[in-house]
Amino acid sequence: MAWPTKPSATMQVPRRAEPYATAQMKARWTADVLPKYATRLGALMPILHDIQHAYRHIPYQAQLEIAEFLGISPSDVLDTVSFYDEYTIEQRGVVTIGVCHSIACEQCACSSTKLLDCARERLGIGVGETTDDGQFTLIAMDCLGSCDTAPVALFNETLHESLTVEKLESLIVDARHVSPGGQH
Amino acid sequence: MPTSPDFKPTPVLTKRIPEDRAQRKTVWFDQYVATGGYKTLERVLSMQPGEITDQVKAAILRGRGGAGFPAGLKWSFLSPPDGGPRYLAINCDEAEPGTFKDRLLVDFDPHAVLEGIAIAAYACQMQTAYFFIRGEYHHQAKVFQKALEEAYANGIFGKQGLMRGASKFAVEVVLHRSAGAYICGEETALLEAIEGKRGWPRVKPPFPAIKGLFGRPTIINNVETLAAVVPIMEHGVEWWKKMGVESTLPGGMPSYGTKLMGVSGHVNKPNTYELELGIPLRMLVEKHCGGMRNGKKFKGAIAGGVSMGVLGTDQYDAPMDFDIGRKYDVLGLGTACPTIFDEDTDMVAVARNICRFFKAESCGQCTPCREGSGWLLKLITRIERGAGTTQDLDMLLEIAGSMGLTPGTTICGLADGNNWAVRTIVNKFRPEFERRVTPRFVPVYVSAAGR
Ligand SMILES: Cc1cc2nc3c(=O)[nH]c(=O)nc-3n(C[C@H](O)[C@H](O)[C@H](O)COP(=O)(O)O)c2cc1C
Ligand code: SF4
Ligand code: FES
Repeated sequence: MAWPTKPSATMQVPRRAEPYATAQMKARWTADVLPKYATRLGALMPILHDIQHAYRHIPYQAQLEIAEFLGISPSDVLDTVSFYDEYTIEQRGVVTIGVCHSIACEQCACSSTKLLDCARERLGIGVGETTDDGQFTLIAMDCLGSCDTAPVALFNETLHESLTVEKLESLIVDARHVSPGGQH
Repeated sequence: MPTSPDFKPTPVLTKRIPEDRAQRKTVWFDQYVATGGYKTLERVLSMQPGEITDQVKAAILRGRGGAGFPAGLKWSFLSPPDGGPRYLAINCDEAEPGTFKDRLLVDFDPHAVLEGIAIAAYACQMQTAYFFIRGEYHHQAKVFQKALEEAYANGIFGKQGLMRGASKFAVEVVLHRSAGAYICGEETALLEAIEGKRGWPRVKPPFPAIKGLFGRPTIINNVETLAAVVPIMEHGVEWWKKMGVESTLPGGMPSYGTKLMGVSGHVNKPNTYELELGIPLRMLVEKHCGGMRNGKKFKGAIAGGVSMGVLGTDQYDAPMDFDIGRKYDVLGLGTACPTIFDEDTDMVAVARNICRFFKAESCGQCTPCREGSGWLLKLITRIERGAGTTQDLDMLLEIAGSMGLTPGTTICGLADGNNWAVRTIVNKFRPEFERRVTPRFVPVYVSAAGR
């Protein structure tokens, strides 16, 4: 759960000319997403996933565009964006490293504490931060449903199991070359 | 009556999933059908929907998502069809720390889950099913989506009616990905999330069976619960009731059938096992998980997800069935996925880790949960640092005990999880906590006049 401070009424929403919600996206949402839900608000989570996936964040401008597309209030969009951990208003790095620090991963031989220490040191950032070059975001996550192969970490959408400090280090080295939009 | 079980591996839900991780492969449509898949669906479509509900009710299939509520009974609470939409929501949120069982079914036998969904949808006449999967299950969402496309392409779902029109009743299945919020596993928070809102649990009543998703009658079931409907309808109620154990509590409800048990922690072979309910934890660890790692001694275990609290050192023989809550002073069987701790484990650290989790995941709606979870974490962190006092220990118990549905102070059961986790760890490992805190002496003055 995360509640960002509400931007003041006088805040200027930073804008760029090109819309985040592209015509292509809107066509897909109309054809594939909206028919699946009884209300227009119902389509919000899949739409937010699309935007987050494409831009690694959901800036205020995108929230306004979505609100307009769905015919709902921008505050409803902000409400949902701010509640779920996977939606972020600040841009995430090209590679988000999510180390599980729940019970099985913390209490195993190579504990998540060691992994997080290693990642912090290698990346030079703290948990919840993004490197200056925008390549990495480091987060600590709760149980990833893989406790039998603890400790585990997600690199974007890929789960790495039975990790050791050495394995994590080499994964980080490889991930330096991942380009935006590139699969990891 | 269950025959006294010898607790050999019983592959029912896992009949297409080998125990050896290296040999596991996703069973796609053709292979699923070649091994008898969708036959049960085809057969039950000739039955009246109500008959299916009656059988599931007779089997006393208890919910596998945590609460153990009988599925058939839940289905029978649905208001009668009024021509409007009715929904099924399948709970694949699986975010309870220590739990990894639904993932196994979705990863490797997704059509078994889809067949269960189809049968339940037909039995309760629900036209739309939302498969609610946690956001972190990226791979599983892709597997499920592909299986779903196969099922549509082969006419299982879609406008023509179930099973290529064998029944006129048409079912649509929608994959809905969550976005990282443990609370959305709570069934009404889950409905809010499908509606596009923040995952705040709803005040009940009204119960979802009367007024659920988009204000319409809705059934929410766990993935494993629905997967178990298929073998029950295939082999019959009597067959199902031969597995598992009766309750030994006065008026207790039996624990029939098999259960997926994901064992993690300090054992030699952590993995997901399928066994009959009632297997003693010791047997599960010693016989199936290759014993404790490095020959260490058993110290304690999280019963089935951190919300359930812990089993103490002297509770190693606790049978894994739905009686466990009342008999062994834990909240319940939960997800039946125990995390095992050996003698070297620092139980204060375990408590701190769990408190951190609940503080992070409280949705913030109820004061005792939102504030209480923060205080618990502060207190336990102080104790872990060695700066706590005996008074902190008592305050810990007092705050924890005031949170949840049982003391009646919150909207949902997340706070009960925090409550039980803290109280059971502190109570069952009290000496360990006492060693970490400074005793606080209360000065006592004795009046000289009394002498
Ligand atoms: C905080 C909280 C989290 C929950 N998380 C899950 C979950 O991840 N998966 C699940 O199936 N049930 C979860 N439940 C239980 C559901 O509310 C509900 O009881 C269950 O999905 C019903 O399905 P069943 O009867 O088939 O078990 C959770 C409950 C609470 C209070
Ligand atoms: S008990 Fe906690 S998680 Fe549940 S509704 Fe209240 S604040 Fe939210
Ligand atoms: S505790 Fe890390 S995957 Fe479950």
